[in-house]
Amino acid sequence: MKKLALAGLLAVGLTGCSSEEPQVLNLYNWSEYMPQEVLDRFTEETGIQVVYTTYDSNEAMYARLKLLDDSAAYDLAVPSTYYVSKMRQEDLLLPIDRSKIEGFDNLDPELVNLDIDPENQFSVPYLWGTTGLAVDTADIEGEPVTAWEDLWEDRFDGRVMLTNDMREVFHVGLRVLGYSGNSTNPDEIEAAYEKLAELMPSVRTFNSDAPRMPYLEGEADVGMIWNGEAVMGKDTMESLEYVYPEEGIIAWLDSFVIPKNAKNPEAAHQFISFVLQPEISALISEEIGYATPNLAARDLLPDEVANNRASYPNATDMINAEFQTDIGDDALQVYAKYWEMLKSGR
Amino acid sequence: MHSIMQQPFKNAVLILVWGWLLFLVLAPNLLVVGASVMTRDPVSFLSLPLNLDAYRQLFDPLYLDVFLHSLYMAAMTTLVCLLIGYPFAWALSKVGKQRQLVLIFLLIVPFWTNSLVRTYALKLILATNGLLNSALMSIGLIDEPLQLLYTEGAVIIGLVYLLLPFMILPLYSVFEDLKQELLLASHDLGAGRLSTFVHVIVPLTLPGVLAGVMLVLLPAMGLFFVPDILGGSRNLLVGNVIKNQFLDARNWPFGAAASIVLTVTMAFLMFAHRLSKRRIGEEGA
Repeated sequence: MKKLALAGLLAVGLTGCSSEEPQVLNLYNWSEYMPQEVLDRFTEETGIQVVYTTYDSNEAMYARLKLLDDSAAYDLAVPSTYYVSKMRQEDLLLPIDRSKIEGFDNLDPELVNLDIDPENQFSVPYLWGTTGLAVDTADIEGEPVTAWEDLWEDRFDGRVMLTNDMREVFHVGLRVLGYSGNSTNPDEIEAAYEKLAELMPSVRTFNSDAPRMPYLEGEADVGMIWNGEAVMGKDTMESLEYVYPEEGIIAWLDSFVIPKNAKNPEAAHQFISFVLQPEISALISEEIGYATPNLAARDLLPDEVANNRASYPNATDMINAEFQTDIGDDALQVYAKYWEMLKSGR
Repeated sequence: MHSIMQQPFKNAVLILVWGWLLFLVLAPNLLVVGASVMTRDPVSFLSLPLNLDAYRQLFDPLYLDVFLHSLYMAAMTTLVCLLIGYPFAWALSKVGKQRQLVLIFLLIVPFWTNSLVRTYALKLILATNGLLNSALMSIGLIDEPLQLLYTEGAVIIGLVYLLLPFMILPLYSVFEDLKQELLLASHDLGAGRLSTFVHVIVPLTLPGVLAGVMLVLLPAMGLFFVPDILGGSRNLLVGNVIKNQFLDARNWPFGAAASIVLTVTMAFLMFAHRLSKRRIGEEGA
């Protein structure tokens, strides 16, 4: 997270100093969310250098972009669903010129023209994924873990990991109590806080940097994980399983957007088209384990990727699944207060 | 000096120093003070009217608790740094000049690596299947790996590791200035080792101790990435609260108010430092 962000900043600083001509694309993306190979091939094909900077939460990304000054002049960012609508409404985005985008028709019709951005005027879907349960089957005994509720069991004392993401953690608390993960009702949020506070003594760590790492390091046995991280983690540790919890998975869609103060929107359009090529989209999904919304790319995926339930859930897996939506600033403040109480409570 | 220094050169230096202080010290701090008395705004971050709500929020038991816990971890860090740094600095002032240079060089070498990278390295050592646990298990001292990472202890270890040089360097400079004659005089006047230490060495090195404490205590409350990496995003420091307010909760007035508390604490410590220096100066005269 920060190490990468720092390296990115350094890179920005360095390119800022040079007075040469080559074109630059400033890409601001989630950590571990783009294979290096894709960036290299883009540079090879177009001659445009990519300055890659990363963030580990929508909040951090938004706070930087909101400044709209030179220190935060990114050409492309990848917010999740609810931040696309928020940033669109706050007039932080440039419209996407569809005439410059090739391959848009390859996208899954179910993942375009959503409420967050009707007609996709400002966003192009990049990847979608889910946040579910990670279980290190080698290290746990007894009944298999099947629900978020199971995290509260005594046997996992001190072995639970949660993502360092306010909305996701509260989503779990709310679902366990039978509420919507997008609740804006202060009473429900408070109840979720009370429930999560009971879990806190069991929680070993929060991680949104690389959520697979605490499992691989042997620090945690069970908890939350993003599906792509679970796929990548399983490559290293066979016993790491991705489980679709009974209460329902957390689903999200991340999209490319062009911030208002982008210096090189032209290159941003080129990069989006580049990624939309079926071959490139397939490569990304295969490398980092998240699902591509690019239907043409799905046909190119090797069987073991296309049939990997962690990356590509089936209809049963998606029962009770909920997409995160924009909950508005008032509710966000309520969440933020309880989130701090949760994390500082010992 | 006046005769050597040309007028234009002197003016240039003065302008540079004052410009620096005005634009890079005073102005940013005034901005922080200004932000702290404004109202939180979801769209433009800050808005009018002016008020003191952010400061009132500081007294919320939640943040008081975070502040006290942060102070506790910073104080432990400072104490450990002092316990290691004091004898280290003493010994450093005793060895030969050549060796001294080598030791100071070694003390400074880690700064060439970014502190973030070094903190990640520490994580590899402290992890359940990390170097320390495997070493202890292979020599048979422990059967089960110790849970070191993501604890309060891990945060303190990280802070000590990063801040120890800041304790040693000012202590080293006071030990360097410590006149051997004073120790001999104390000895000649019949004071034993302990008595000399308590009545001569400690008072004379106190300014160094206070300088070291200042350089360690305050940064220790602000190094937010240490709890993030080694504390599992728990065991929060004041620095984490400030960062969270700016980045996650987007409550700039409150984040600004919290950082002003740190600045004021720092100013208070510097004031105490000056007082103690003056007191020692008078005693010496």
